Amino acid sequence: MPARRPDLPSLAAGLAVIVIALLMLLDERGSIELSFAVFAPVACAAIGAVLLAAGLSRR
Amino acid sequence: MTSIASDARPRLRRDRSGGWIAGVSAGIARRYGIDAALVRLGFVIATAAGGAGIALYLLLWLVVPAGDAPAASRRVPAGARASVEVALGSGLLLLSVLLAFRALGIWFSDALVWPLVLIATGGVLIWRQSTAGAREPAEQPAPKPEPVEAATKTVVAVSRTGVGIALVIAAGIAFLQATGALSAARDVVLAVFAVLVVVCVILAPWIIRLVRSLASERAERIRSQERAEVAAHLHDSVLQTLAMVQRRSSDPREVAALARRQERELRAWLAGRPAPGQAESLGAALEAAAADVEEHHGVPVEVVAVGDVPLDAGAEAVVGAAREAMTNAAKFGAGSTVDVFAEASPERLNVFVRDRGPGFDPAAVPQDRRGVSESIVGRMRRHGGRATISSAPGSGTEVELVLER
Repeated sequence: MPARRPDLPSLAAGLAVIVIALLMLLDERGSIELSFAVFAPVACAAIGAVLLAAGLSRR
Repeated sequence: MTSIASDARPRLRRDRSGGWIAGVSAGIARRYGIDAALVRLGFVIATAAGGAGIALYLLLWLVVPAGDAPAASRRVPAGARASVEVALGSGLLLLSVLLAFRALGIWFSDALVWPLVLIATGGVLIWRQSTAGAREPAEQPAPKPEPVEAATKTVVAVSRTGVGIALVIAAGIAFLQATGALSAARDVVLAVFAVLVVVCVILAPWIIRLVRSLASERAERIRSQERAEVAAHLHDSVLQTLAMVQRRSSDPREVAALARRQERELRAWLAGRPAPGQAESLGAALEAAAADVEEHHGVPVEVVAVGDVPLDAGAEAVVGAAREAMTNAAKFGAGSTVDVFAEASPERLNVFVRDRGPGFDPAAVPQDRRGVSESIVGRMRRHGGRATISSAPGSGTEVELVLER
């Protein structure tokens, strides 16, 4: 059976969701304060990483 | 008996027709067979609980394809879409870095950084659009676009340039506003605008006349060049064939074969198709032209080629001019061997055609003879090259064709 190649955009999206979920968990536990100033760059980075992965995998 | 099991559930696709924003909730609801209102409620709760709903929605918007994705992907080329995604992704990553620095306090000033970011974004858009034509590969002429496709390209180009200019202007205004210099700048802009309006009103008739004159001159130049190309082609093909038909009128079969071949070539040329059996490189095309001249005139033509390049418009012009030079050498070279030496590199094409015939005085060639003036010298000049003819009575003839690329 041929090895299945990982789908890069899905991988990036999954990692991004995990990172966001971890940040929210830490915020919930009081370890960090998830203000807009912190969340905005993380959201931008997550969306940017997914877009970049999608674009690179399409080339 | 063989049965094929299939999943009755639809695949996860955004349902844009039934959605409110991008069809994410409607798509999830259709996939799992639940009410879309419940999914939307889930997103609203997640948003109110800390903003994750928005991020999740945006991610799904990006990751989940639309229900009519196959049709959309036919409209947008994969390469163009990939470029847009890479550019947007890189931009967002850069933005996240800037926002992170700002949050950490490593920051100059909002009044300086954000206008610079806007200027850079606008500049990239304008620069990319202005160099779009230069990036088109010159060797392979692009197929003629459909009218709708051409109109879409124009709209994209204009909107991209427009967005770039708007971003740069917005950056300038934001910078002036932040530094308190907007009112002073407004006075200057108003003064400049008023002067420009006055100057335009005074000079409008001359400007309009100048623009029209330039446009008509350009159109006339293009017409003249096209006429010269057509004349050169007809001289090299139809006129040469008619001359041979006259010479070989005693052999009806050969005359018919010549006419059929010429008809096929002319039809292909009129339809914009490559001629039957047309070579794909300079060397092969020169060999084919030499074989053709040898066959028709019964004079040996020796070709030596060093290097080779694909047969683009410039190389085709060189082959056309060399073919005409070979024909002249075969016709007027008193049966001597015609030597062709070609040297091709990506930067330069150089072809010599030599015969040891009686030679002629180039200055004495009448102006109405198109063979030398149009098919060789004019053709090379129109494609940015040059042709040098060295000959004297009794010393043979050498034609040098040079095209810098």
